[in-house]
Amino acid sequence: MKAAEKYEKNKMENKIPAKDRIIAWPRMGRIDIPLKALLVSLGAKVVIPPANSNEALELGVRNSIEGICLPYKLNLANYIMSLDKGANTLMMFQAPGSCRLGNYTKMAQKTLKSMGYDFDMVIFDMYKSKMKQTLHAFWHVTHCINPYRYYKGFSLGFNKFFAIDTAERLLFYTRPRELHKGDAEKCYEKWLKITDETNSVLGAKRLKKRIIEDFKKIPIDRNKEVPVIYLIGEFFVLLDPYTNQNIEKELGEMGVEVQRQIMFGDWLEHVLKPSLFYRKESHRERSVRYSKDYMKRAIGGECIETIGDTVYAAKHGIDGVIHISPFSCMPEIVAQNILPKVSREEDIPVMSLVLDEQTGKAGYITRIEAFVDLVKRKKRLRKK
Amino acid sequence: MNKSFPRRVGIPRAISYYNNYPFYLGFFNSLGIEVILSDKTTTKIINEGAKYVVSDTCLPIKVYVGHVVNLLDKGCECIFVPSIQSTGYKINNCSKIRGLPEIIRNVIDREFTMIEPTLDKTENIGLNDFCIETALAFGITNKKEIKKAVQKGFELYDNFFKMTQAGLPYHEALDNAVNGRYVNKTADIVKPLSVVIMGHGYNLFDERISLDIIKKLEKMDVKVYTSLNVSREDALNAIENLDEIQYWANELELTGTAAHFLNNRKVDGIIALSAFGCGPDSLMVDEIAYHCKEKNMPLIHLTIDEHTGEAGFITRLEAFVDMLMRKKRAMISKKSQAVVRTDEIITLKKEKMFTSAVK
Repeated sequence: MKAAEKYEKNKMENKIPAKDRIIAWPRMGRIDIPLKALLVSLGAKVVIPPANSNEALELGVRNSIEGICLPYKLNLANYIMSLDKGANTLMMFQAPGSCRLGNYTKMAQKTLKSMGYDFDMVIFDMYKSKMKQTLHAFWHVTHCINPYRYYKGFSLGFNKFFAIDTAERLLFYTRPRELHKGDAEKCYEKWLKITDETNSVLGAKRLKKRIIEDFKKIPIDRNKEVPVIYLIGEFFVLLDPYTNQNIEKELGEMGVEVQRQIMFGDWLEHVLKPSLFYRKESHRERSVRYSKDYMKRAIGGECIETIGDTVYAAKHGIDGVIHISPFSCMPEIVAQNILPKVSREEDIPVMSLVLDEQTGKAGYITRIEAFVDLVKRKKRLRKK
Repeated sequence: MNKSFPRRVGIPRAISYYNNYPFYLGFFNSLGIEVILSDKTTTKIINEGAKYVVSDTCLPIKVYVGHVVNLLDKGCECIFVPSIQSTGYKINNCSKIRGLPEIIRNVIDREFTMIEPTLDKTENIGLNDFCIETALAFGITNKKEIKKAVQKGFELYDNFFKMTQAGLPYHEALDNAVNGRYVNKTADIVKPLSVVIMGHGYNLFDERISLDIIKKLEKMDVKVYTSLNVSREDALNAIENLDEIQYWANELELTGTAAHFLNNRKVDGIIALSAFGCGPDSLMVDEIAYHCKEKNMPLIHLTIDEHTGEAGFITRLEAFVDMLMRKKRAMISKKSQAVVRTDEIITLKKEKMFTSAVK
């Protein structure tokens, strides 16, 4: 197993001394805020690539192959942009055994090297002994040995993740009900900024409470009829507002409360906490339980979560489900094939949206509007 | 024996049929179960399959669904749909192949029994468990009987494998193996050009999906190598030599085969044949394309879907073969020139030495 060993070694390259490292990682939603806090408290220098945009996508599309899925193209663009800004160490996690994700870093490494960049790639598997792998990766890039700094970093990072998730959940709840349009959005932006600036463990721990208090001050119409829609699908597309064309905002402004089952903080807690300490039923276990009638085995990716959440939504009185996935995503195509039957048998409206770099905004909004109309009418009929 | 257990099983002529059919046949026959095959792929079967699934699904899955419907129309009520999750630790299959039973169960709204054994070596569910699970669906629990059936299956499969390794064409080898014959005939025909096709067995050996690419190439006087000519060890070694690791379960068929011929330079070009929207292929072909560029080997990537027109397909193939021919001719003439030139240098040197000696 010569090649495999070499590959294992390649996963944590060590050409650049730890003190000269400038670290960058691909963007996904607001993942940059907590990770920055973690790495900075370990004493590292970081570069944050600019937010995903048309320009970034174009850069990614130009340098990657045609058949690969959308998240890879954006990841590659993030790498290129941060290398141009001076980064020399790239970090990425991967989960082999799911789908094409396991091959991302290998390809990116090759592509970037052939483009003439010189850098270190640090990859950590989310497959076995996750906490150990993660700690090792962070030690590898910073060479920090002070345990207090690790405590501070991880505590800051986790609390910021939870704070962002809380703010997001409250935003989804408040946006359709607010009396003055734009209040919730403003409050959310404000708290993102404060979260980013918080630098003490105590401050980070209190963030969640303060966010809840602040959102409570926004005047809302409590008696408004608001249909609830579940947003499910592929991980990256759900979390990245550029890729999903800010579907949460569009839906919120149409007077719909969005609920998303995949939250980054929850996912991270489940992934990183050793299973001994994790007492709650994880999202995956719940999905397996609910999707029993339709699927008998997990097939990689988030397929089983998609089906499980749809059944869960139907059983808990949710009004509709929107399923989004990038073009040619293998697990989500299987989910798309199963969803019509789930929709029919559980009696819940489901719409699948496939996103790629060619998606036009106007057609996309029209489809969402039509679906929201359908959901609202159904809700009214049910009430009568 | 309980009468409610089925005594006949239908095997769709798609996906895992192309690599494992001799094994399945030997296994089921030894257990006393009759095997029914679906018809060969036709445009009608593809259209029938496409009716049931969403449009983003790739061609092989549409074909698979079409074959299942074909079997149901034939009156077969028990269908064998295996889920081959992984063939080694962390070496997984494509999600759609892993989820074949889930697709079939939810997409086809008819009454039928589905036999859906799982093979997942990451979770330690090996071939033995796979066979036991299959036999259980027919009410057979006798371990000895199952073991004998597995042996019988491997017997047929080994025959098939040996024949293909010796260079027998796929369909001939399959026909012989199924009828229990073993033909030892090495057919190593020398032709002016030779290419290797990297593609999944279910695309390449299905005459409708691949538009009979092998015969077309042979008509153009090109010798064709496929994954059947490369043994498992050779493919693994070849991948290792390129400093890659095996990630997909069917990587040996594609990267392994191409890498083997890329390393020993027995061929003049590589043809990559993949279905539109295929996830693993998009990565594997890219990987090979990268190494081909490094090692100066021509490669063409042909994408197929249900709308692929035969005329355009042939034109591209012909253009590629012409290009290979021109390259080879140029190379041969260059070689002969190079020989002349070195001769000249040697004679020149000799003259110099001679003159200096005289002086």
